[in-house]
This record gives sequence, C-alpha cells and structure tokens, in this order.
Amino acid sequence: MRKTTKYLLGLVALVIAATVLVSADHIDAPSSAGTTADIADFYAFEPSEGSDNTVFVVDLQSNVLPELAYGAFDEDVLTEINIDLDGDLVEDQVIQAIARDGRMYFFGPIAPSQTGLSSEVNTDAALGNVEISGATAVVETTSDGVSLFAGPRQDPFFFDFFQFNAVISPETDSAPGGFLPPEEAADTFDGANTLSIVVEIPNSMLGTPTATNALGLSVYKTWVTTNRKQ
Amino acid sequence: MKLRQSIYITALVLSFGLAVGCSSDDNGTYMDDEMMMDDDMMDDDMMGVDFTGTFAQVDHLGRPGINTTLSYDMEGEASVKDAHNTTIPSEMSAAFQMGFQARLEQYHDVYALKLGLDPADVNYENNILGLDAATLTTVLAADVLEVAPDLPTTYFNPGTDLDNDGNILVPDGDEVALTGRHPNDDIIDVSLILFFGGMEGDRFSGQDLDDDGMADLPRLTSDGVGLTADISTTFPYLGAPE
Repeated sequence: MRKTTKYLLGLVALVIAATVLVSADHIDAPSSAGTTADIADFYAFEPSEGSDNTVFVVDLQSNVLPELAYGAFDEDVLTEINIDLDGDLVEDQVIQAIARDGRMYFFGPIAPSQTGLSSEVNTDAALGNVEISGATAVVETTSDGVSLFAGPRQDPFFFDFFQFNAVISPETDSAPGGFLPPEEAADTFDGANTLSIVVEIPNSMLGTPTATNALGLSVYKTWVTTNRKQ
Repeated sequence: MKLRQSIYITALVLSFGLAVGCSSDDNGTYMDDEMMMDDDMMDDDMMGVDFTGTFAQVDHLGRPGINTTLSYDMEGEASVKDAHNTTIPSEMSAAFQMGFQARLEQYHDVYALKLGLDPADVNYENNILGLDAATLTTVLAADVLEVAPDLPTTYFNPGTDLDNDGNILVPDGDEVALTGRHPNDDIIDVSLILFFGGMEGDRFSGQDLDDDGMADLPRLTSDGVGLTADISTTFPYLGAPE
C-alpha cells in the first residue's frame, strides 16, 4: 500500500478511535464496554519472594468515568482465569468465579471439559466461597491454603490517559511535545475504584509449567475472560 | 450502548483495605487492620444454589492494553475489538498481527506530521529487545500474561541491570523478567518504550538536540506518572475503596 494511502487511512482510524480512553482493558470494545462484564484489568504475581503461591487479581468494572456500570457483581457473569501449562495457548486449568446472593463462589482449578468460548460452571470442583466485601475486606482461606476475596478496591492502574489521547490525536497542534514531565502529568485513575476478585493459590494446585517465556524461564501463560449467561 | 473505544497503550511484549477489621471470627482474630475473616464458608454451603446454564465469552484480557491500543474499529465495519475479545489465544496472532502492525506504524505517522516530517521517514525502529515490528506485534497479538511460579515478579524493568553484567536493556539469557505483573509495575512506560523507544529505549524522550533549553523531540517513552493507589503486602493486596 502506498504510504500516502496508508497515512490517510491511519488518520481516519485515529480520529474514530480517539473518541475515548480508558485503562488497561477498561472499556476496550463496543460489546463489553461499560457493562457489568467489562474486564478492567488483570494481574498475576508472586506474593512475596520465595512464596510457593501465585496471586491472580481480576478487576471488573470501573468508576473512572461516569456512566459506566459499577458497584455490583452481575450474577449472570462468569469470570474465568485460564492457565496454560504447556505453551500451546489453550487452557489446561481454569478457575471460575460467580456471584450468588452476596457471596462469590469459586470453582477449580480444573481441566475444563471443553475449551474455548462457551462455559458451564464446574460445580463438581468447588474451591470455596467468600462473602462479597463492602469497604472492609472479608477474606476466606480454604483448607487447601487458597485465599479468596471479592469486592470493591482502589483501582491500582496508573496512566495519564487524557494526555495519551492528546498524544495520539492526529491534530498537529495536539500535544506536539508528547507526554508531560512528571511534575505536570496526572494519573487519570487516581481515586478510581474497581470490583476486584483476588485468588491466592498454591502453585502445586495449578501444576508445573513446561511453557517458557522469551528469556527461557518457566511460566504459566494466563488470561481472564468474562462470560455472560445465555 | 454508547461506543467507547479505549485507546490505551500498554503492552508488554515479549514473549514478555482498609476498613478497620470488624471481625466476625469466633476468636475475634484480626488478621491485620485491613480485613476480617469470613467464617461462613463451608464446603457444603452450595446447597440449593443454582449455577446452571451456558455462558458465552464477552471479554478477554491477558497483557493489559493490547486490544485497546493496537486494535481499531472502522465505522461501518465489524468491530475488530469485539472480535479480539471473542477469539481464543491460539488463534489470535493469525487473526490480528497485521492489523496491529499497521496501527503501530500509524502512531509513528501521527508524530511525523506533528514534527513537520514526512510520515514515510518516521517509522517504528527495532526496540530494546531487538524485535522488528512484525515480531513485536506477533507476540503481542497472542494476548496472554506470563507469570513464573518460582521467580520474583518483574513485568520488565528497563534501565535496570538485573544480573549486573553491564547490559542494561537487551536480555542476554540470564535476566529475571517477563515473570508476571504486580500492581506497582509501570506497564504503560514499558509499553511506550517498546513501541517508541527504539534500540536504546529513548528514541523519543524529549531530547533537547540544539541545547537551547527546549525539547526538540517529543516525550513518548514515559507518561510521567507512577502508582497513586494504596496497595498492601498482604492479601488481598489492594487498598480499600475510596
């Protein structure tokens, strides 16, 4: 494609896309944006050096902008944390979470009976459940050493999102200098809240990965999905 | 629903409360002053709870910001962003890599114009990991987050010589990185560096080329902000809502 054509197409795309912003995945697509099934963010980390556990944090919904669904877990939305052990990008273990009457129920980790875009709750593999918290965090630790939490938390994502939108604007006088220096930049998400689901689980329950990252280190390949009841 | 498109940059790349505890626990145990234990949970308390039904996928996230940043929707055409959210990871690279690469180049074209340059002359350059645009977007299109079970979590930390070998930016096989994402990881700056930083990570970082006290190149490799939310070293790790 000729560069000029490509450029013009690019500008059209940017003008359309520049209608708004938001976070790590917050509001990322028309069908899920701003709904109760909108995934805001995903974290996976070792809780402390030398720990034999892994922590998964799934943030749903956000109040960073007005008019977004925020405040309650939707009982028709099933959240799934997918874990690929062998690097084929197909889930080998799944942890599920779904709300019922003020509690969050967790299932798995279990090898799913079917992979892909359609799911059912693995009721034969109950992991535990926890009261959905208000401002105070209510936590549950199962006999297997799994910690569970669900409720509102501060959104830890940080980004000068409004300046970003100025940066990518095709208007030639929009942010010609790019981002702002630290003394002028502002975290758009400062003060925003999100609905968090947090699971801390012993690695022994997930299995040993054979997948590796670009540096050759053994890793789980993970992703989160939301799934709406049909 | 109002169309909102998030444009947000992020990405890693390479295959890369508080509320005072009011304990309901029988022993009145305060784990710390941020939480209380839930003692209602029993394995059998699912009795009578209905979990039946089939659930269809509507949203997906691995590495934060990939879909929002590198997918774009054209008016009148099916939403690429929606398609990304309902594609399984093993099929993502084939479906989305070319579109991601085009988008990456478009970002550079926008800044070429702002700098008064020909867009043909300002293009993506291989980044600090040595990845060309095709390879970078191939990796990013498969939207999964890698986390190492037995190593410290480091999303990526440009500028840090993790193994003290004097090689700061380019992985040489013994770094610990790409091992997960912690709430304090600055994924935005990492992503910006990978997209706009070139081989040294500072290609567009507000340089004053003629030493007149004014920046001559845009600042594109850092958004200038760090973590503002409260986080904790204990479960559930995130601060109470504000």
